[in-house]
Amino acid sequence: MIDEAFIPFEQIIEQLLSFRDDMVDEESGMRLYISGCEIESPVELDVAWDENGVLQIGSTPPLYNVNTTFKPSFHKLRFVAQRTDDNNGK
Amino acid sequence: MPNELMITMASENIAWQLEDFVDSLVIDLDKTRETLAVKAINKPLTYTVKELALDLNIFPSYDGDQVKFITAQPGQEGASKVTIQLGSITDQQVRATTKAPESKNDINLNEIDVDKTTMKQLRKLGVSSVDDLKQIEKKNVDLQKVSDNTIDYSKLANQIQKSRRSQTPPKVRAATLSLDENNLPYLSIRGDHLAVQRGFQPVAVVNRKLAEVLSSSEGEVRILLAEDHLRSGENEVILAVDPHALIKVNVKVQP
Repeated sequence: MIDEAFIPFEQIIEQLLSFRDDMVDEESGMRLYISGCEIESPVELDVAWDENGVLQIGSTPPLYNVNTTFKPSFHKLRFVAQRTDDNNGK
Repeated sequence: MPNELMITMASENIAWQLEDFVDSLVIDLDKTRETLAVKAINKPLTYTVKELALDLNIFPSYDGDQVKFITAQPGQEGASKVTIQLGSITDQQVRATTKAPESKNDINLNEIDVDKTTMKQLRKLGVSSVDDLKQIEKKNVDLQKVSDNTIDYSKLANQIQKSRRSQTPPKVRAATLSLDENNLPYLSIRGDHLAVQRGFQPVAVVNRKLAEVLSSSEGEVRILLAEDHLRSGENEVILAVDPHALIKVNVKVQP
């Protein structure tokens, strides 16, 4: 099983994409939103087999911000996301 | 202490194959897409992942059969870097680059009792099912030559036939005694999938004595009976309709 400090890979992506809603300035009548983004982040991975023999990828951004005698192995995650205007991913 | 910790953690990391890793990654991304699609119902501002790349620090190993990877652990240096890049793909591209899913009647080679060397060679050649083999046969490719004689094709064909036969085993529905046009007695065994292999002459043994098979088809096998073949009461009839199907029937003759 995946270490409890890690979360399934799909949740990492989803959480990194949880931007706030449109930024609105009613006084000036301005509305801003993020149309797309490219995110690159170091991640730690925990790869484990579950009880059904399926490989589970656990992931987390760097856990500790302190100097240690040896460093965790940081893998790199990079993805491009675009704003979706409807439910069909267009 | 750090060394002890490293040893403990090293035993926790497990080896995986690239195929399994990519499969899990794709499943995870599908789940992300589904979650974001549900989210989009109530929240119009949502995002779709178009491209994803993962740079992995790993140690590869080869056991003579498979290449496996172990993700680098804290403090480990000298790891190799593997980049897995998943781009978006359209349904047209999927159709153009993947083979059709296995048909209902197709047999996966994993279901056949094939020796390890043959299976390995077939995988290398991209053959995973009986339909794949048929495609190769159609193009007149000699598998034995292509694989440097490591694939025993006759043995493989035999195993495939055996597997096919187990999917459609012979079924006996009735056995009756009749007389042919020359008034000679014969035993008619009727059923389904009886003599399905063309070119194979079925062999019949009645009460441990060989008997002549007059005719055979998928639905009926006729066995010529000599005077001493049948007796009153129980009679054992053994019929080999092909190398992989043996039928044993008890025929009761009323005195």
